[in-house]
Amino acid sequence: MFYTVIEQVVNGIVSGSVYAIVAVGMTMIFGVLRAINFAHGEYYMLGTFGAWFAIDYFDLPYPVAIVIGVVATAMIAVVVGNFVMQRIVGAPAEAGVLATLGVALILQNTVILVFGGSYKFFSGGYIEPVSIFGFTLAEQRILIIIVGLIVFVGLELMVTYSRMGKAMRAVSQNIECCAVVGIDVSHIALWTFILGAGLAGLSGVLTAPVNVSVYGGMGELITFKTLPIIIMGGLGNVRGTFVAAMILGIAESLVATYVGLQFRDTVGFATLMLVLMWRPHGLFSAQARF
Amino acid sequence: MTIELSRRGFCIGTALIGLQTMSSGAFARSEDGTVKLGLVAPMSGPNARYGAFSLRGAEMAAKEINAGGGVGGRKISVMPGDSQGTPVEGVSATRRLIDQSQVDYIIGDVSSSVTLAMQPVAEDAGVLLLNAASSNPKITYKAGVGGFKWTYRNYPTDENRALIVLQYAAEKKGFTKYAVLSVDTDYGRAAIEFTKKYLPRFKSQILTEDYYKEGEVDFRSVLAKIRDSGAQAIIMYGNADSTPIVGRQMIEVGIAGKIPLIGNAEFNTASSIKAAPKALEGAIEAAAWLPAYDSPKSKAFVEKFIAEYGEAPNNHAYVHWETVHLLAKAIEQAQSIDREKVRAALSTIHYESAVGEVTFDDHNQARLPMILLEIEHGKPAIKGAYSAEIDYPK
Repeated sequence: MFYTVIEQVVNGIVSGSVYAIVAVGMTMIFGVLRAINFAHGEYYMLGTFGAWFAIDYFDLPYPVAIVIGVVATAMIAVVVGNFVMQRIVGAPAEAGVLATLGVALILQNTVILVFGGSYKFFSGGYIEPVSIFGFTLAEQRILIIIVGLIVFVGLELMVTYSRMGKAMRAVSQNIECCAVVGIDVSHIALWTFILGAGLAGLSGVLTAPVNVSVYGGMGELITFKTLPIIIMGGLGNVRGTFVAAMILGIAESLVATYVGLQFRDTVGFATLMLVLMWRPHGLFSAQARF
Repeated sequence: MTIELSRRGFCIGTALIGLQTMSSGAFARSEDGTVKLGLVAPMSGPNARYGAFSLRGAEMAAKEINAGGGVGGRKISVMPGDSQGTPVEGVSATRRLIDQSQVDYIIGDVSSSVTLAMQPVAEDAGVLLLNAASSNPKITYKAGVGGFKWTYRNYPTDENRALIVLQYAAEKKGFTKYAVLSVDTDYGRAAIEFTKKYLPRFKSQILTEDYYKEGEVDFRSVLAKIRDSGAQAIIMYGNADSTPIVGRQMIEVGIAGKIPLIGNAEFNTASSIKAAPKALEGAIEAAAWLPAYDSPKSKAFVEKFIAEYGEAPNNHAYVHWETVHLLAKAIEQAQSIDREKVRAALSTIHYESAVGEVTFDDHNQARLPMILLEIEHGKPAIKGAYSAEIDYPK
């Protein structure tokens, strides 16, 4: 009984790590651009497709495919960032919603047009199970947890010490003041967006070996899983997002075990409703930032 | 003297003509002696490929029969009608075939919802509707003693499938404890409902029951629960895309090779097996027919179909080919194309199909064997054809 609970908590941490890497990009984009990026799951999908393409068409090894997937996503993010995301800085909220939903539709359907709508089989990755403290996990999942930790530590260091990171924090606090002191707001917005999209792509490539199926519509589910996490974590709050992702992952895992798999997706939205009712500014900040 | 056509006279006259049409209903309408056979199938729309296969199968059978001298000297002519896979178009196509083409027999449709809509139309016209490819059990719940006496079905239902899988698992494998992991749709839930209906027959029980949403990617929690529950097999009726994910995560939680998957979710395709060979070992699946089935009649059909059309037949091509032959046999036994007599012949027919003998029960449902596949050493092995008797709701 106790063993089962511990095992399910570990399962929850594994799925939480995936949510965390996707959600942190989305929350940073929100912090800087003040726009919920509804196309965020699409960058996750693009990363997966990039890696799948590299493996299936060119027979490249998985580590190379990871790089290709992330670079391909970042390149598409450069285009979208230049033409769409930079323009919604300071625009009304509806503009951001419409623009990102439109981008989501375009990206998704372009992929379906090019590669077809059927399910593809992702053959790369390290799927052999290993045993740690009596739990068996695929090697890939350990990789996901490790990469997740690296990403978060790296982001913390970046926003605390690097010039770019400090500028990002500044833009998320006050756009006008940034402009006054000479921070190039649209430049920061573009780079934040590319970084966020690249992280989503990375998360897609990392999870592809355990999720196996690759298809054009796979990003939508990710967007809707991520939304409750970033709201729970406090929009724009990197550390909060990490904790919220873990909470959701573990809660989902326990619900799937003790209540039923069919109720798993309700966890995210139920917590979202509770948070919006009692702590609309997120679990971890004393007051709303926006 | 001029005849004045009063309104009343016109109405009575029209009514009389109508009555006359109705009273001639039970006899064959074909005047030139050919057997007119309508085929309703999705010839256009998203399922057009199924329709094309159905038509090719039916036409190939008609050609074979006509080349052998026809049925009782009569030629069979297949008249296609396009249902587009939707009930509305299916009903119009059926009406056109009955009213304009004057067919005596209709085979159709592939989709269950279309067939359900066609049933009352065929019943009103007294035209034989012989379904060859719909799997919803309701179609024959409502046929024969259930109501529609002109509907017959020569295809196994989802209920047949659930029962046969359970029977094979219980009798050949000795399983009595199951875990359920099915897709959360009408198909996945109905299949489990039917499985539950027959559990007492095999003194079996379901220990855990979970349904996954389409697109679900994380099954680890539920698979760990299944591992600890003591279940001997996982009953899964699901989508093809989930099978590789479930397979890989079965390996992770350590139940691959210990608790097999049974049911229907493309366990036997090469891509599923390649994704998780260890987890799919021992998986059991039931199919109506597949090209690899090893019987002389089935092999000959596959060969001839490839020679004729340059591609391998699918399940729909086979069932329509077989059903046209079945109908021809019924007409031959009736020694007439009188629909009433052909219907009577169909009810008592013993027809030797490529998968085994076909007979009809009192709900006009064919007692059909299904082919059981088990994955052995990384390859699907055909375990033979099995049939089982349905319990109809009283």
